[in-house]
Amino acid sequence: MSQSFAVGIGGAAGQGVATPGDIFAKIFSRRGLHLNAYNAYQSIIRGGHTFLTVRTGPQKISNTGDHLDLLIPLNQDTMDRHLRLLTAGGACLYNADLIQPGAPAAGVQLCPMPVSNMADITRNKVGQNTLAIGAALSMMGVGFPALESVLVEQFRKKEQAVIDENVSLARAGYDYATQNFKPFAWALPMTEARYAVLSGNAAMAMGGAAAGVKFYSAYPMSPATGVLHWMAAHARKAEIMVRQVEDEIGVVTMAIGAAHAGVRAMCATSGGGFALMSEGMGLSAQAEIPIVVIDCQRAGPSTGVPTKTEQGDLWQMLGAGFGDYPKVIAAPLDIADCFKLIPEIFNITDRFQCPGIVLCDLLLSEGRLSVDPKELDFAPVIDRGEMITSNGSGDHEPYKRYKITESGVSPRAIPGLPGYTHVVSSDEHDEDGVLISDEYTNAGKRRAMMEKRMRKVDGIAASVPPPELYGPANADVTLIGWGSTYGVIEEACELLREAGISANYLIVRWLVPLHGDAIVDMLRDARHTIIVENNFSGQFARYLRSETSFVPDGNIRKYDGEPFAPHHIVEAVKEQLAGKTKLSVPVHEIMV
Amino acid sequence: MSTTPVTPQPPQPKTNRIGLQILDYRGGKTTLCAGCGHNAISERITEAFYEMGVQPERVMKMSGIGCSSKSPAYFMSRSFSFNSVHGRMPSVATGALLANKTMRSIGISGDGDTASIGMGQFVHLMRRNLPMIYIIEDNGVYGLTKGQFSATADIGSKLKSGVINDLPAIDTCALAIQMGATFVGRSFSGDKKQLSAMLKAAIAHKGTVMLDVISPCVTFNDHEGSTKSYKFMQGHEEPVAEVGFVSNFEDIAVEYDHDTTVDVQLHDGSHLRLRKLHEDYDPTDKARAMNLLMEAHANEEVLTGVFYVNTQKPDFTEMLNMVDEPLATLSPERVRPSREVLAEIMAEHG
Ligand SMILES: Cc1ncc(C[n+]2csc(CCOP(=O)(O)OP(=O)(O)O)c2C)c(N)n1
Ligand code: SF4
Ligand SMILES: [Mg+2]
Repeated sequence: MSQSFAVGIGGAAGQGVATPGDIFAKIFSRRGLHLNAYNAYQSIIRGGHTFLTVRTGPQKISNTGDHLDLLIPLNQDTMDRHLRLLTAGGACLYNADLIQPGAPAAGVQLCPMPVSNMADITRNKVGQNTLAIGAALSMMGVGFPALESVLVEQFRKKEQAVIDENVSLARAGYDYATQNFKPFAWALPMTEARYAVLSGNAAMAMGGAAAGVKFYSAYPMSPATGVLHWMAAHARKAEIMVRQVEDEIGVVTMAIGAAHAGVRAMCATSGGGFALMSEGMGLSAQAEIPIVVIDCQRAGPSTGVPTKTEQGDLWQMLGAGFGDYPKVIAAPLDIADCFKLIPEIFNITDRFQCPGIVLCDLLLSEGRLSVDPKELDFAPVIDRGEMITSNGSGDHEPYKRYKITESGVSPRAIPGLPGYTHVVSSDEHDEDGVLISDEYTNAGKRRAMMEKRMRKVDGIAASVPPPELYGPANADVTLIGWGSTYGVIEEACELLREAGISANYLIVRWLVPLHGDAIVDMLRDARHTIIVENNFSGQFARYLRSETSFVPDGNIRKYDGEPFAPHHIVEAVKEQLAGKTKLSVPVHEIMV
Repeated sequence: MSTTPVTPQPPQPKTNRIGLQILDYRGGKTTLCAGCGHNAISERITEAFYEMGVQPERVMKMSGIGCSSKSPAYFMSRSFSFNSVHGRMPSVATGALLANKTMRSIGISGDGDTASIGMGQFVHLMRRNLPMIYIIEDNGVYGLTKGQFSATADIGSKLKSGVINDLPAIDTCALAIQMGATFVGRSFSGDKKQLSAMLKAAIAHKGTVMLDVISPCVTFNDHEGSTKSYKFMQGHEEPVAEVGFVSNFEDIAVEYDHDTTVDVQLHDGSHLRLRKLHEDYDPTDKARAMNLLMEAHANEEVLTGVFYVNTQKPDFTEMLNMVDEPLATLSPERVRPSREVLAEIMAEHG
């Protein structure tokens, strides 16, 4: 197992948990370390409980892990709830004036700080946080100048006095810890690498910019709002038309209008907003206007749990709208993939003139990951498919917008092009867009149009690779997951191997088209298969079964709003291999 | 006497100022009921675009769903057309115009398409002052689904089956004025002269033009007891002003009486000449316009004419300060941010 170090900071919303989180993230990434961060919070602006975990190390960090090495509780509540996450060698740094320590596990160092003796923090409500950051970095073996420069940057928009105050608070904490606390056994290493730190939402927005998105529409909804914020903040610079629309029905149809006029258009929402977008999915498919919709899943149904994660929207995506129509659905595997997937899916939706869905979730949308900038291709191939953008010589056959072709794709012309005027319609139509139900409904034409559109499905399948099986062949157990569980499944497999159980895993990224035959081939010889997913009913398991008749030996599901931790999967695999159950629902030990 | 034989010249077809004939503005053959008000509106639109000399290929026709929303098929076949979904034309049109602001757009909706399922989108479109013409072909019923009351049906009006409407009508003109449309009026499909003048002025205006055109449904709502029938309109139409239009390529110096006529210079230099028929009429005053509409409701009159016009307010594309080049036709190299911009963006995430 590669080395890693996890810091947890918790407090009430408004106590300033985010800033120390940002500071740690910056310091880690500037030392050339990887990191993975996740913030557990509630849908209130003040109060409640916020708990941020940042895990770092020299190798890729695929999830926030099972335990903490350092806990910084900003209030008693955090001390009480999270102290148990510290394991031997770990430490808890806290304001001794306000917080009573609990009973830690053996080998955990309690580090009380006499805050009122160290500094006057009556004017600076978050002064205790800065003291703790200073102390923490001293114990991690990080030199003070690194912290000083990040603090100067963090508060650059404030006046000099604020910067000076924070630097001197950090210094006081740093020196106090150097004198009074035992440093961690593992000093944070340093590497030559430099990573960008991205949230999944920022990554998807940037992926959109790289893909040439020129129109973005949205209605705010957690956890998708980050995409809108990124887009709004960069609209001018990146020359993207960004609109906040009256509701999600308008969001998706406005994107369709823009795409109709010729741009790449994208929008993002969560399950509740997507429910309103269903009619737009049908319109995009019937009018053959490509759009990409991002669905950042949160726990449902209805308003559900706005700030908690789930993989519960799969069947909504599969069934969105009515009637049969070609579509593409893909789930990014991690935050870097949030970026990469967008240009890929746009090329497919453009080539096949159909809607595409990016099935993300809160874990990736709001989580943060260190990403090697080299992994982010800002000039990916842009394939707009068969699109007529100029009338060339002007000499051509009469243009038919919905011409029946072998591939099912009819070359698309944008409005304004002389010689290519056409009718686009949501009603079933014939090759030139004339509504077929207007005079008598021509069964032959209807069938031909249906078959034309559905022929695109084969082309889409051929453009998308089947998933791969990672890890040793002939493993004792094969874990199957999709989308965001990739990281935690990968680590669980490593932990299983350390425990003497060989494990491999198959992660599905393209959900539609699925490549069911290839999946079944890969699983044919598997000794014990378990599907892992973040929902109640096993939405992916049911989908895989409906497409392939494949039934796994067992399932691991979690639907309490929190993501899986590696040990949840490890323990569940062990109990299933021991024949104790076929369905494990790991209990989330801590309430956040 | 000359002996040269004279070959009679075939009469030259009449053309407009861009050299096109009226034929170039015609649409497909209508599939609506004979006598449906919507057909007359399609004819007026055809003529107005012909007379104004608009290049048909620069026009996007937009619609929702309904008999009315089918109308774009019956005028201007040389324009681009998009039959969207029920009640959603405002957002589709907004997206399309933002992606290509060099195109013109005319949207055709119905009273069901606008005032019920599409109400949310309608009011938000009016707020934007998007440069487009939005026409409600208003018959007080859902024609296509066989004649149920719509939300513009007057309270107390009667369906063929005898059912009485028990809710007050939504006045889409009052809403449009309040929400920010900059050219708002009501007309009647049977009032050829008024509707033609209003449509031509609409083409000359830059901003949202909202025209509610009473358009009788001969099949489901043209009987005794209907307030959207031909007969009712003939008896109750009450123009607030006589609408005159002088285009920028005609002689503007035509005399008019400054005391009784309001002259509005439109964006393209054309003039709207509104001869007052009502004492309190002032189309530049929102509050007065609203008042007139409210009074008319109380008196059971159907006011027609241009109620409100504002040529000062910037339209949506100006307000957004958009770059000149349409986003939809940027060259492939231009569709993504430049290297420098990307470097700046990446630096924020370091
Ligand atoms: C989502 C949805 N609901 C219902 C319908 C059925 N529908 C089609 S047209 C229409 C009403 C049209 O009324 P209006 O806009 O007044 O047009 P008219 O036919 O009167 O011109 C309805 C309810 C539909 N097409 N889509
Ligand atoms: S049903 Fe009514 S609205 Fe529809 S076409 Fe016939 S007359 Fe016109
Ligand atoms: Mg109607």
